[in-house]
Amino acid sequence: MKRKAKKLPASKSAEEVENSDPSSHGEEEEDEEELPTPSKATKTEDHASEESVPRPQKLSKGELYKPPTAEELHQLKEAESLFHCNLLKMQMEELLKEVVLSERRKRLVDSFIMKIKALLQNVPQTREVELNDHSWISEGVKVPFLWVPKTTKGKFHMAPPASVSLVGSYPLGTCTKPSVSVDLSVIMPPAVLHPKDVLNQRYPRKRALYLAGLAQHLRSSPEIGTLRYSCLHGNHLLPELTLFHPKRNNVRTHWYTDAVGPPTPHYNSSLLGDVLPKAHLQFLSAISAQCSAFGEAVALLKVWLRQRQLDRGAGCFSGFVGSMLVAYLLSSHRVSNSMTAYQLLRNSLHFLASTDLTKNGITLAKNPDSKAPTLHEFHSTFQVVFVDPSGYLNLCADMTANTYKQVQNEASLSLQFWDDPTVDGFQALLMTPKPLIRTCDHVFQLHGLVKLQASCKKLNLLGELMDHGGDYVLTALPFILSLLQLGLGKRIHLLTHSLTADPEWSVDSEPPKHKDQTPLSFGLLLNPEHSSSVLERGPPADSPEAAEFRQLWGPRAELRRFQDGAITEAVLWGGSSACQKRLVPREIITHLLQLHADIPESCVRYVGGLFDDVIKIGTGEEESLKVVQSFDDLSRKLWQLEDLPLSITSVQAAHPALRYTQVFPPVPQKLDYSFFEQDKQSRALVPHKDKPCPVFIPPLQVICHMEGSGKWPHERLAIRHVKAAFHIRLGELLRKQHMYTCSTTPTHVDVYKDGLIFRIQVAYHREPQVLRESIGPDGLLRYRDNEEAQALEMETLHRPYLTSTLHGLQQQHPSFGVTCRLAKRWLAAQLFSDEVDEDAADLLVASLFLQPVPFTPPSSPQVGFLRFLHLLSSFDWKNCPLVVNFNSQLTASDYVEIKNNFIASRESLPVMFIATPKDKKVSIWTKQGPSVQMLQRLIVVASESLRVLEAQLLDPSQNQDVRVALRPPLDMYDVLIHLNPKYVPLLDQAVDPPHITFSRGTVPGSAPSTRGLLPVIDFNPVSLYLAELRDAFGHLALFFCDPYGGTVIAVLWKPQAFKAQPFKTSQMSARCVEVSGDEAHSLPNVEAILEDFRIMGDALVRKVEPRMENWVV
Amino acid sequence: MKMAPSAKKHAEQSWVIPGGFTVLPLKYSSDSVSQHSLYVKEHRVRAEKTTSRPLDRTLFVLNIPPYCSEEIIKDLFSTFGKVQSVELREKPGTTESSDLKLSKYFRPALTKGFSVGYVVFTSPSGVKAAKSHPRDIPLIVSTENHPVKVGIQKWIQQYRQSLINPEKLQAAVDTFMQGYDQKKEEESERQKEAEEDDEGWVKVTRGVRGSKARPHSEMANQRALQKEDKKRKRKELLNFYTWQHRQTQREHIAELRRKFEEDKQRIAVLRAQRKFRPY
Repeated sequence: MKRKAKKLPASKSAEEVENSDPSSHGEEEEDEEELPTPSKATKTEDHASEESVPRPQKLSKGELYKPPTAEELHQLKEAESLFHCNLLKMQMEELLKEVVLSERRKRLVDSFIMKIKALLQNVPQTREVELNDHSWISEGVKVPFLWVPKTTKGKFHMAPPASVSLVGSYPLGTCTKPSVSVDLSVIMPPAVLHPKDVLNQRYPRKRALYLAGLAQHLRSSPEIGTLRYSCLHGNHLLPELTLFHPKRNNVRTHWYTDAVGPPTPHYNSSLLGDVLPKAHLQFLSAISAQCSAFGEAVALLKVWLRQRQLDRGAGCFSGFVGSMLVAYLLSSHRVSNSMTAYQLLRNSLHFLASTDLTKNGITLAKNPDSKAPTLHEFHSTFQVVFVDPSGYLNLCADMTANTYKQVQNEASLSLQFWDDPTVDGFQALLMTPKPLIRTCDHVFQLHGLVKLQASCKKLNLLGELMDHGGDYVLTALPFILSLLQLGLGKRIHLLTHSLTADPEWSVDSEPPKHKDQTPLSFGLLLNPEHSSSVLERGPPADSPEAAEFRQLWGPRAELRRFQDGAITEAVLWGGSSACQKRLVPREIITHLLQLHADIPESCVRYVGGLFDDVIKIGTGEEESLKVVQSFDDLSRKLWQLEDLPLSITSVQAAHPALRYTQVFPPVPQKLDYSFFEQDKQSRALVPHKDKPCPVFIPPLQVICHMEGSGKWPHERLAIRHVKAAFHIRLGELLRKQHMYTCSTTPTHVDVYKDGLIFRIQVAYHREPQVLRESIGPDGLLRYRDNEEAQALEMETLHRPYLTSTLHGLQQQHPSFGVTCRLAKRWLAAQLFSDEVDEDAADLLVASLFLQPVPFTPPSSPQVGFLRFLHLLSSFDWKNCPLVVNFNSQLTASDYVEIKNNFIASRESLPVMFIATPKDKKVSIWTKQGPSVQMLQRLIVVASESLRVLEAQLLDPSQNQDVRVALRPPLDMYDVLIHLNPKYVPLLDQAVDPPHITFSRGTVPGSAPSTRGLLPVIDFNPVSLYLAELRDAFGHLALFFCDPYGGTVIAVLWKPQAFKAQPFKTSQMSARCVEVSGDEAHSLPNVEAILEDFRIMGDALVRKVEPRMENWVV
Repeated sequence: MKMAPSAKKHAEQSWVIPGGFTVLPLKYSSDSVSQHSLYVKEHRVRAEKTTSRPLDRTLFVLNIPPYCSEEIIKDLFSTFGKVQSVELREKPGTTESSDLKLSKYFRPALTKGFSVGYVVFTSPSGVKAAKSHPRDIPLIVSTENHPVKVGIQKWIQQYRQSLINPEKLQAAVDTFMQGYDQKKEEESERQKEAEEDDEGWVKVTRGVRGSKARPHSEMANQRALQKEDKKRKRKELLNFYTWQHRQTQREHIAELRRKFEEDKQRIAVLRAQRKFRPY
């Protein structure tokens, strides 16, 4: 008897998918039927939860201390000993409730299956025709098969199936949402088939025809919505030899004695897969009957796999393989039947992490008959080996070694953080999706897959091509992977690739061709230590490996003599700046693919440095380094200064440029003195009122602590004066001893050094304390916190500390700085830079590096930036503190403490709460902002940017312009103030720099390292104007501007701004009065305010554009 | 600009609104299309002690636009009578006298927004003249004879002013520190005298007198209390008696229960927000 399976993703061959109700897209289910989901109920629930979050209640004393029952004790003990937090157990239970099908839905599915079965049983009989004659199939239905070559002999006619039965995950009870699929196995009637049908692909063709017949019949029924074909694992069958008999007993003969042609293991196993689903179902049901948690464990494993995009496509680690794996562990007694789902999942991951199925395959066959192939034979034909209970079928036949390595890598990563109490294991394990683009440091795509046909020829893979039924993509893939793996070597930790999705097409269209497949994506997890090295050092010239090396690298290999005297083969890649070096893997990949697989560079779309241009990274990293070096030199000189009345106890940097995170690090410039006016008395340059705004030179804050001594006064004003005296003295000494130009003010001294300005601020460690002192009415000395003291502490204590900590982080993770710069560029471009300040943004990025789970720390700025956007858009700010654990200083108990504090006083804490080892309770960096509304908007904009960018990065057909994510929509603002670019000093840094450029008083050449006139420091009309606007109208409106070259200031009226208020002497700014009767009310004087915008920004403002469509007075 | 009709009889001349303020219209320049309104009233605060704001001669001005400096206000109000001094502030209220004595380098920076002002005329007639200013003749801030610097020009001027000659700064610091030292010395003298009793005996105490002799602080009180608490705890024996042991066990179970309950509730919160959908 021959059989024919018609099913959905869990198994093989063509299939039909029906959608009975395409409108209800509550949850995407490519499903036998899409049930009307309770979407309305969901929405209302969401609303309710937004408004009223139940607060945890305390147990009463009586309840806490009542004598425990034995059962309760057991429960508590279990929770304590089995889970590091019983929270995790409960969370998993909740998750299972979400993914398991509800009873109601099951009933609906069941009734639908009954209908389908009945329909199928009644397929009408047709007359016998030639196999090539498709005229009996109506126009609306196409045959799901690539009919090449055209001629095949044989007869065919439709007849009711021999039997229709349920197989796969649905009858087993391991079926999970959202991809609910029900597999039906339809056995073709014996009369349709002929014993010789195994030859020349007659069987698969007949199967396809039969399917088309079924489709035609089902279409006629009103019950059925959409019908779609799909084919599992991308298996297209082409006519091929083999004497394969669909009867099981005959398989092994072929296995061994394939005398006619080369062995065709993949073809064989794909046919075998047709035969076995029922046997597998029986096997799994038997296992499931013994272990009560089997179903739940498989469900968890499926969720885990799905989040990692491992469960679908050709050569995937499907839910079916997952359930077979759990069955293997159970049947080999590695886990016991009494274990819970949690334990089973954990053990499965542990098994995956520790067992290499590419070397030591496993088998489910208990007593294989003597003729079954051995594991060794499986290994010789397949990359990954996991044999089914029959002993003949390799469940992982199509899986590449790289996919399995990825599974292994994911499993061991998951186990690493499973027990870590500082990590929200549940979130990382089962709730966070890991798409390729956000997981891998660099990604590249092969498009124009037709080229792979040539590769197969070049790689001499014709035999394999035959085996895969002509699917050249699947054929070439393993070879390309091993080639790249060899070439990239220790530059990467892991090379992964996307799994080609199972194609799915409507019954009335032709089946897709191989070349129409979605492009193949590959992901690299870089090893930052080696990934950007420009030299590939090979074996010594005279060693036998040299030939191999030359073979691999082709013309790029050359002999080189090294400093240690060795003469070896080597390849030298191009790249001078850090950002060019980061792209060395790209050079290697394009070179190897071209050389060995005939894939031209134009087919490789490498996504690794697309953002570089946005912050002109070309110079950034090197400039940052120079700034830091200059600071180190200054620091040394300060320490060595003689004749200071008190000695210096520390010199600390407190500026983003001094920790590599300044978006555009300052670049020293030689100045053209004639461009400026000069202030003779202080030997300083002053901007000229008729010329464009001069180049912007930012002051880099340096905090210089002086030793404590009895000489310091104990009074706030006196301390300020003493500090001023120190500034004068420091300036004098630096001028005398090191020839630096200095400018002194009471609060700081600016030093002009190497073309940079360092702003040295003297600090006295007791000053904040003095500011807090006051004498109470009872004569006791009181300490009361105040803003002044906090601001001072922030400046002299917290910021320098943060700077040095982040500086350290950069040493560990070379891509940290650039990621910060990208993140801040995005924030600024989207007009958020006043809401999330530099320090907070750096902290957010730092958290990605310090607690990357379930990912690994980013090794490229691109992936770091994407994860930053994802963090912003997905983090639950309302319920969770973001803990940035520098140097692992916080322990598990600290985490608990932080969390408890946070929950206890949530309302009074900043909406964006970031805790660090030095700041567990207050979140000092986000105190000033963002506000609830701005955070909400930030989340929306971040998720939109992420969506756009990821789609763009992965879709070769889209024009690559990452700047779209940096252009903010301006239509929501009430007034736009357009600025004159002449007075915008940072114009060159704009997202889309304008074509006009202005002379900013610089000439080519290097800046003097000492002496010279004092340049114009920190003079930026835009920020001065913004400060004035906020001072004057901050109570009425919000002002937004991109500090990096933005030429528009966007104004948003506050919601309450236009409400009439009673006349009050303290609140009359920019308001006019209206009198009604005896009462005077005041309203904002909008007309005058709009005119003030222009007056206050005279010359800077080009146009004030009120957008009256958005508001009315 | 709309103006509500005033209830008062002499409305043709000036406009007084409920609350006693007279409205003075103000324009930036003669070709400005819109105008601000200043609200003025004679300064009358009972508790005012400072001599810088004499009650009968001081005009209290509200809603002064950001581009009006003290000099400009002085100019503007000179039309009503000779102005003796102008003081601009962020909010109405008294000034701290200590700030006034500081040199210009150490004075707190003025706000750049709208301000309130105290205009002191040499004679009370100035106040009256200002209050009866007609409502339809606006004051003009910037005229051809007295152009006001705004925008880029103002910021360049500010930048120039921010350049400080270190010697002058040093001189200011020195003057202040001299005064400070003198004050301290006087204080310690006074203290010394206080310590001498009637017969000239001096009580010899530990530590330095003068600046170090501070009032007892709150913190020190707390610290002492905490120390004692700790001491008491150290002396206690734990799990010595059977009842103590039982107590510990009871506490342990209660703790487990509390955590269990907390977790359950946390889950309930999360469930309410539907945080368990994996995709």
